[in-house]
Amino acid sequence: MKGFKPSAPFLLLLPAMIVLAAVVVVPLLLSLYSSFTPFRLTRPETFYVFIGIRNYLSILSNTDFWWAFGRTVLLLTIALNLEMLLGLGLAMLVEKATRGQRILRTLMMFPMMFSPILVGFQFKFMFNDNIGLVNNALQSLGITQDAIPWLIEGHLAFIAISIAEIWSSTAIFAILILAGLLAMPKEPIEAARVDGCTPWQTFRYVTWPFVMPFAYIAMTIRSLDVARAYDIVKIMTDGGPAGRTELLWTLVARTAYSDGRMGMANAMAYFSILLSIAFTVYFFNKLAAARTQIGAEW
Amino acid sequence: MDENSSARLKRRLLDIVYRIGLFLAMLTICLPGLWIVISSLRPTVEIMAKPPVWIPQEISFDAYVAMFSGIGKGGIPVIEYFRNSLIISVTSTVIAVAIGMAGGYAFARYRFRGKSSVFLGLMLTRTVPGIALSLPLFFLYVRLGIIDTHFGLILAYVALNVPFTIWLIDGFFRQVPKDLAEAAQIDGCTRWQAFWQVEFPLAGPGIASAAIFAFLTCWNEFALASQLTRSVSAKTLPVGLLDYTAEFTIDWRGMCALAVVMIIPALTLTYVVQKHLVGGLTSGAVKG
Repeated sequence: MKGFKPSAPFLLLLPAMIVLAAVVVVPLLLSLYSSFTPFRLTRPETFYVFIGIRNYLSILSNTDFWWAFGRTVLLLTIALNLEMLLGLGLAMLVEKATRGQRILRTLMMFPMMFSPILVGFQFKFMFNDNIGLVNNALQSLGITQDAIPWLIEGHLAFIAISIAEIWSSTAIFAILILAGLLAMPKEPIEAARVDGCTPWQTFRYVTWPFVMPFAYIAMTIRSLDVARAYDIVKIMTDGGPAGRTELLWTLVARTAYSDGRMGMANAMAYFSILLSIAFTVYFFNKLAAARTQIGAEW
Repeated sequence: MDENSSARLKRRLLDIVYRIGLFLAMLTICLPGLWIVISSLRPTVEIMAKPPVWIPQEISFDAYVAMFSGIGKGGIPVIEYFRNSLIISVTSTVIAVAIGMAGGYAFARYRFRGKSSVFLGLMLTRTVPGIALSLPLFFLYVRLGIIDTHFGLILAYVALNVPFTIWLIDGFFRQVPKDLAEAAQIDGCTRWQAFWQVEFPLAGPGIASAAIFAFLTCWNEFALASQLTRSVSAKTLPVGLLDYTAEFTIDWRGMCALAVVMIIPALTLTYVVQKHLVGGLTSGAVKG
């Protein structure tokens, strides 16, 4: 070996690498191994039994798992799209405000300060069929006389969870898109108007391309912690009623800790990890593409 | 009606629609939080009342008193949870920011091979869902005997925060012009001195907000904490909140009060850093 002299960035990044290797990479390798064993918490000796891909095969034929998987993808699709749209709308509303913009911006960030577990609790309280704010309001306004079983009926519970999820994360989109709108130079918009663009055309072909990278930053940040939904679901319904709101993450937790089937749970966990990585890589590429597009114009 | 006044009328109508829209949006954002605060201050009878009582008749701080008076009637050891949360969050934030500063500086100031793939790799470690990571960590921690300890959770939270602090701090160092540090070095500073005396003070506010962001992540984290802690000696506040729902009757008022206790530090800190946070995220990411 020639006289190896580590470069400065290598040394600077070394602590980060060590910590991440110790707490993330090595444990993940361990869990990859144990997904090929019938490991149960109650029977430690099963950790050394190798059964190949049998866990994965039994997952493939497990309908509960596929329901949870589909539900997770559905929730993410609905939530991310609506968050993006609502965030854009909110940002434009606030940007239009002539007075009190600072206060509005602070109010807009309000949901970001709530931890997912608090968001879950807060909506569990509001959607309570007996004493919740939502039912009380509906009854006081005379819209309905019944206590709507928000968190007890499967579809309604899914809607309630989506609302909680959207409430908590729209702020990230709104803030970053607002930052984009505020950073945007005014000349192109004026030029477009002079050239006779309709407001919609101005938005579609001038404002939106400029704001897009900011929206992708928000998407990338969101995709880094899509699994936050675990906290919300855990406290709102805990996967119930009868598994109708079970997401991938709650299913993993239940299989691992309630049933003690660690090997199986690790195999499931790998699906959820792949799902998260797919989201991140997708948005990271979008971000890079949008960045080069803007970079050319800046 | 002539064209002028009809245009004016249309404009006024649009303005009113806009104001109503803005008001409704802000109401949706603020109402859930306000409702929690109000509910924590009213007697349980009022919360449970049918038909609902909309305007609080009496205000009392009983829920807060009961919460902090230790394990009593339906009380949970909030003081211990609070202490655990504080110790774990502060320690892991300090370590994560130190590591993040080194890493962020490397990304902002040096060119090296595979830079963007190293960056993506760092981010990918952050995408691993907490619950998926908790499975092997749980197993390892039991083996190492650090389950249900402060140390175990601190270690996990440092790893959780490092990628994001690197991203943020990278952005803040980019905003500090390179020339300043170079000028200091020409004037006889070493690179080390130039960093601490020129670049660090300039990036300081940004680094502070990265620290606060890391603190909040730890303060709010639930998925890992709920599996890696078992008892009063290491449980954090978010896990403590679940203590209330484990019982058959939910003490809504107590839960609301605990929620308020959890949100106050988050609220204050986020308010302090909001400006820097957005600046850091966007500058680091857009200008490449």
